[in-house]
Amino acid sequence: MSWFLFIILAVFTLGGGLGVVVTRNVVHAALFLLVSLVAVAGLYLILFAEFLALVQVLIYGGAIIIVLIFAIMLTRTAEYPYISDNRQWPLAAVAAAAVGVVLGAAFLDNNHLQTAPNSPAFADLANSLFTTWAIPFEVASLVLLVALIGAIIIARAGEDNS
Amino acid sequence: MVWAWLIPVISFAVVPLIILFGKRLPGKGSPLAILAILAGFAIFWVVFAGFLSAGPETEGCDIGVGTKVLTCNFQITWFEAGIPGADTSGFDRIEIAWGITIDPLTVSMLGLATFVALMVQIYSLGYMHGDPRMDWYYAFHALFIASMLTLVLADNFLLLYVAWELVGLCSYLLIGFWHERPEPREAAKKAFIVTRIGDVGLLVGILLLWSHVGSFSMSETFAAVAGGELSDGVVTASALLLFLGAMGKSAQFPFHVWLPDAMEGPTPVSALIHAATMVAAGVYLVARAFPIFSASDTAMLVVATVGLITALGAATIALVATDLKRILAYSTISHLGLMMLSLGAAGYTAAIFHLLAHGFAKALLFLGAGSVMHSTEELDVRKMGGLRKVMPVTAILFSIGALSLGGIPILAGFWSKDEILIAVNNHLNPVFIVLTLLTAFLSALYMARAMFIVFYGRFAEQFEHVHDAPPTMSITMGLLAVFAVLFGLVALNWPGAFDGIGYFIIYEKGHGLEFVIWLAAVSTVLAIGAFIYGYLAYARKSVNLEGARRKFAWPLKVAEGKYYVDELYQWTIDRVVMSLSRFVAWVDRALVNDVGINGPGDVTRGLGEKLKYHVTGYVYSYVLVMALGLVGLAIFWWLVSR
Amino acid sequence: MVPLVAFQLLSAALFAIGIYGVMARRSAVLIVMSIELMLNAVNINLIAAASHLDGSGRWANFDGQIIAIFIITVAAAEVGLAMAIILRMYRNRSTVNVDEINLMKW
Repeated sequence: MSWFLFIILAVFTLGGGLGVVVTRNVVHAALFLLVSLVAVAGLYLILFAEFLALVQVLIYGGAIIIVLIFAIMLTRTAEYPYISDNRQWPLAAVAAAAVGVVLGAAFLDNNHLQTAPNSPAFADLANSLFTTWAIPFEVASLVLLVALIGAIIIARAGEDNS
Repeated sequence: MVWAWLIPVISFAVVPLIILFGKRLPGKGSPLAILAILAGFAIFWVVFAGFLSAGPETEGCDIGVGTKVLTCNFQITWFEAGIPGADTSGFDRIEIAWGITIDPLTVSMLGLATFVALMVQIYSLGYMHGDPRMDWYYAFHALFIASMLTLVLADNFLLLYVAWELVGLCSYLLIGFWHERPEPREAAKKAFIVTRIGDVGLLVGILLLWSHVGSFSMSETFAAVAGGELSDGVVTASALLLFLGAMGKSAQFPFHVWLPDAMEGPTPVSALIHAATMVAAGVYLVARAFPIFSASDTAMLVVATVGLITALGAATIALVATDLKRILAYSTISHLGLMMLSLGAAGYTAAIFHLLAHGFAKALLFLGAGSVMHSTEELDVRKMGGLRKVMPVTAILFSIGALSLGGIPILAGFWSKDEILIAVNNHLNPVFIVLTLLTAFLSALYMARAMFIVFYGRFAEQFEHVHDAPPTMSITMGLLAVFAVLFGLVALNWPGAFDGIGYFIIYEKGHGLEFVIWLAAVSTVLAIGAFIYGYLAYARKSVNLEGARRKFAWPLKVAEGKYYVDELYQWTIDRVVMSLSRFVAWVDRALVNDVGINGPGDVTRGLGEKLKYHVTGYVYSYVLVMALGLVGLAIFWWLVSR
Repeated sequence: MVPLVAFQLLSAALFAIGIYGVMARRSAVLIVMSIELMLNAVNINLIAAASHLDGSGRWANFDGQIIAIFIITVAAAEVGLAMAIILRMYRNRSTVNVDEINLMKW
């Protein structure tokens, strides 16, 4: 059963990812990305990481895809429906395949672990996040704040100049 | 007695106060320094009295086996290093303490240092009156005396070394006090650098001892030496290295060259630092480390030989020097040499006795010279004469100092010199005693020369209007003169707790007043003869010296040239050191800098200059190279780790 | 039961796809999307490891998930900033085509 689910979700994940990188239409690419990201959320579920699956759907499926689609809308040009790859794409394909092979080989080389996935308790996760990881958590909030302010300033400054 | 640590601490404490607020305080902060040392002097008496009355049951003190030496140790931990919780006796953990040790040697040095410092600081009120940097002067003085007292109190070599370097620093600062003129600047640098050569030896010696004992503590080190834990070679080597430090500080040949130049500093500084206390630190060090020295016959012979060479050589130079302060400086070197000689001859008590007696007398002489210089602004003895007419107090006090140092009986110098002669006679080759007697004779002769040529004889008319010393100066000189006259009487066995210095400052075993009649007689005859001859030759001018001058023209020239040691050093520096330095500088510039440091930078920049035209500027190209690099690195590591 | 290595191989494949996208696409928006794919690949790896290792292993049980949360946080910040930069770029040069942006060339 889990193999069946895994294969379905893997197909969606990789298929969506391939769609992002091969389609010529930018809006289609965004939709393929959505498929891939939701499939990843499914993967989290079969790993018993329910909270992460929820976060994945909310943030990636919700917020980030929306932001990307807004960006596409705001930067629309005539070439959008048929945007092409750059000149080095064959080389890029080889390099990407090589990276994948290296990573895969490394994983296969260290394949000792045969345990079943277990399910950490949700409350323990929260406990750990707000005690052991409290300071990184606060720093992450600060990073978000700074990014927010930075994004506003960068986007606004253009208006003043033009 | 526990409160002995307060003596240096009070003086340390006033240093920042004077530096920060000296300009606004009355007398530019000088009363602060004087009060601090006065408090130190008072505590010294408390400690001394407590020391004499303390028994072995006193907390922190114990009495040496078979001797009456009482030693008290008090310490607090300064810092620790090494494995926590390990045993401190080994090398796994060391504990460095701020500790003091009080034994008769320390007590004597405390007394000498605090008393002379007190006298000199009061004297300086008159001498330095109106100097624009009085506050700095007193701050340095306080820092110096605090360091010096720490040095004599220290119970471990590390603290001793810290204090040792601090007194060197203060010496440098005070020699160069009038740094507007070039000579004091140069003299200060010379003093610092020359003593530094010896200090390196001291440091290496301390570390050598530590590497074999595992502790900086003096008592543990001495116990290890006495217990035969160290090989003879190590004991000899460390003794000689410690002696190198002592030679630098105490201006022993061939490191004596800095002391005469140090006379460029203010005269009270010369009296305190370069006559009575700091230069005696070398003698103190040898005495303090005497268990190490006495365990090595070689080291003892080296100490004695260097001491004798220094004593004799400096005495001959003092005889022909023309600058009053330099005569006194060479006299100091000569007497420090005598102390070393005495230590080398196992005359422990004699050396310290002479250190104290010489300290009082020489401080008095320097202060007298300072008084002359203050009034006449002249230091060349050839231009002086008959000054007793215009400055009678100074003349009398200076004469007392000269007679005491010259070894006229019942004055302090006589007793200590006699002790040294006995020690040399008992323990060393007969050659040594002959040369020591010669040195004693020369010592009396140059003191007679300085005294008669300056204060007696025909009056030099240009000094008609000079005045005598002001009260602050004459009173302090008077107090020192009392000691210069009476201090020798501590050699006698007095009723009460004090059985004479022979039973007080002792190493291993005490002894009563020794008196070898023929030695005392010979030395007395020599001393009195020297003074009579000096009177005839320099005051009455009834002995014509020109004949002797012509006859001994060549040796005289050599002595006046100070045996050309300075010239030899200058030649060595110019020819050997400088050419070596030039070579090293070339290596540094050409090889290390141009090739080693700028080379990779130049190569990188040159490559960048060439390659920058081939950059596409596309971010994705950079990512591609990164990805390929990642794959390359992965394959590399796979190959390496396989 | 799906072993850990299956998830790891999946994440490797997704990472390779993502890096191909970064290297090959011409639109800045598409490059950002590819970066998101790479981040997801990393997250899959982390969470799979977190679920398969128990607390007695070299990693504490939650640490993978918690780091994944931080990565998602940073990814959100990064997307926000990247979009602001892309908007700015579009406004100044009327294009989001990275082929036309080579200011880093000498």
